[in-house]
Amino acid sequence: MFKHLNDWLDDRTGYRSIVRDTLDEPIPGGARWRYATGAAITSAFFMQLFTGLLLMFTYSPSTTTAWGSVFYVNDVMTAGWIVRGIHHFGSMTTIIMLVLHLVQVVFAAGYRAPREVNWWVGVALLVVTLGLGLTGYHLPWDQKGYWSTKVVTNIVSCTPFIGPYLQTLLVGGDEYGSQTLSRFFVIHAALLPGMLIVLLVVHLAFVRKLGPSSPGKANDTKFWPEKAFKNLVAAAIVVAIPVALTLWNRGAPLDAPADPSARDYPARPEWYFLSLYQMLKYFPGEREVVGTIFIPSGLLAVLILMPFFDRIFPRKLAHFVACSFVFGVTGGVGYLTYQAASADARDASFQNARRRANVEAKRSRELALAGIPPEGAGYLLSRDPLVHGRDVLERKCLGCHYYDGKGVISKDEHGKEVMSKQDAADLKGFGSRAWVRGLLEKPNSSTYFGNVPQCGGMERWKKSSKLTSAELDRVADFVALFAEVDPETSAVEWANDPKIAKHPGLEAFQKECGQCHVVGESGLISEGGVEDAPNLFGWGSNRWIARMIKKPGAPDMYGFLDPKEQMPSFAGQLTDDDVLTVVRYLRDDYPGAPRAERKEKAAEPAEPRK
Amino acid sequence: MISRRDLYRYLTMGLGGAIGFVLGAPGIAYLLDPILRRVSGGGGFVPLARLGELEVGVPRSFPVIRARRDAWVKYPPEPIGSVWLVRQPGEGAKTPVVAFTSECPHLGCAINLEADGKAFLCPCHTSKFALDGKPMNPVPPRGMDSLEVKLSSDSDPKISVRFERFRTMSREKTPLV
Repeated sequence: MFKHLNDWLDDRTGYRSIVRDTLDEPIPGGARWRYATGAAITSAFFMQLFTGLLLMFTYSPSTTTAWGSVFYVNDVMTAGWIVRGIHHFGSMTTIIMLVLHLVQVVFAAGYRAPREVNWWVGVALLVVTLGLGLTGYHLPWDQKGYWSTKVVTNIVSCTPFIGPYLQTLLVGGDEYGSQTLSRFFVIHAALLPGMLIVLLVVHLAFVRKLGPSSPGKANDTKFWPEKAFKNLVAAAIVVAIPVALTLWNRGAPLDAPADPSARDYPARPEWYFLSLYQMLKYFPGEREVVGTIFIPSGLLAVLILMPFFDRIFPRKLAHFVACSFVFGVTGGVGYLTYQAASADARDASFQNARRRANVEAKRSRELALAGIPPEGAGYLLSRDPLVHGRDVLERKCLGCHYYDGKGVISKDEHGKEVMSKQDAADLKGFGSRAWVRGLLEKPNSSTYFGNVPQCGGMERWKKSSKLTSAELDRVADFVALFAEVDPETSAVEWANDPKIAKHPGLEAFQKECGQCHVVGESGLISEGGVEDAPNLFGWGSNRWIARMIKKPGAPDMYGFLDPKEQMPSFAGQLTDDDVLTVVRYLRDDYPGAPRAERKEKAAEPAEPRK
Repeated sequence: MISRRDLYRYLTMGLGGAIGFVLGAPGIAYLLDPILRRVSGGGGFVPLARLGELEVGVPRSFPVIRARRDAWVKYPPEPIGSVWLVRQPGEGAKTPVVAFTSECPHLGCAINLEADGKAFLCPCHTSKFALDGKPMNPVPPRGMDSLEVKLSSDSDPKISVRFERFRTMSREKTPLV
């Protein structure tokens, strides 16, 4: 049955003779291990093609979705981390194999006549492969991809004459946006692989036509099975390296989503481009174009011209020059790579920044498990109180305030660490019951208004207060409830809620606090008026704190103080997301927050203590 | 004794198989991910309308608004489909309202009401259904898919519906999990 079908197929296609010719292809001088570097790269290309194709099933090339899709492949999908890991480490393996192949071919003088054209095809393959290695790690649009896209496209713009046009074409405009990633994606996943396949077919066809440049001394053999076996061993090594690296590293790295506002992201290219990165350090300022454009194109030009060395120098000298060139460049690349890596290893601020980047990467991947907002992965961290809120707090608030007993730590001129001076309250737990209770106990503590003499009202109250400790407990329970007001509830509705109107702390609050503080409006809970004081309606809620940040001088806040004594307004300096994240940070309202005391208290029914 | 040639042959085949397995197994697992790791979606009841908004025998369409997870994205509540509600005659009837998903059991287009309001018509392949959901021509494989309805105990009850999707092109009404 099968024989019949095969006969028919052979009759129509002649496949049997094609297979036989391939298997019986003579290998002049016998199969040698050194020929296997070519087979290794070919296998690596196919491995990259296969895993890349798989990744394309999920990858989504836009600045809003790219990070999410790569995260999904890497952290959620079945075996996704293995597929991505093999592709990631496979690119490095391919480049190493390519260098080995290049060195081996030059050593065997494989660039010489009659193989010049195939040598050029090989050089083209080298350029295409490096292009693939470069465009690939931009695609996840994580911090690494974003900043390296930025660097690379700016380097492109240094090209004499056409640079700026080239950059605009590559980016798809003047800013990174909707057009950028789709362009890089097409270059990486269609244009370059397409060129690579064509060049590879031509390259292999020439190899078959011309035979090996340095045949062995053994008898000729056939391709099948010895050469096939040796090729397959090479393929197995090429597959085993990325698989082992993937398992060892538990997949490929993925940094936090691209953040154009990041201040200290330590951008570095993949290690196989570190030498180029290091070289830039030797060509500062105007001369930079030497390192970015002239030297790399010069090296490429030498490779292209290598077949002509024989016409200039005697044959042996030409080969010596070619070998010295390749070994010299390889050694130089190795040296620069080592320099770059060891400079980073010794640089404490690089290590710190890298550590912070790792923390952000871990945090964004944790947050992403709960779903990424449709606006894009960039909002994962910019709306995260723990990362972004804390950052805003440090930059904008801790110049005057403290948090948990600490201000901003900086270094003085002797390199000693110094802490900023505290001019305002400690914000840790602001709005919680514990904070209120502490304030009621010791308002002149530096945690509260001790460093803010203009807010001395609480201290004056404390001196004349007649409330017992149990009454203060109840007042604290009561005031801690203020933060839980629903933003859609009016002051009147809130005051009539039995939770407020029948609260055991209300009486003591009215007796003393209400002398100065109004809640909502005068007469609702208290009359106020004895001394100026902020309105406490919604005190400690998101809305109240946000208002305090944006309008501290409003009449219901601290407008009664002299403008010089008020907290400065941060309206216009912070975005709505900035304000919300810092407020939620202060309220411990974020995934992974320390279990706030406020919540435990709020869950308890507010009954009078015995 | 095995010949050198045969040794190469077996080793080549073994190695080829090993490479194929190391790359192929994760590849296949990755491709089958949507089947291997089914995410259970939906299921719960969604509030749509109050009974008082409906007239007996006059179908009305309501959007199903629900937060949704789509692979890595979490969408806020937004319309994810629509449901036809038909109020049944009789005060205090056992089933005061019937709900049909607007997804056609034929090939999943959205079923509309005919201009005269007397029947349902799918604009894609002209599936036609009576107001009780029964098929009126042989295009659809089954009647419109009814959904489970829950009424609250208010004086004007709130209507909630368990929104589900079903396999198309089959005689049986099989929920897609």
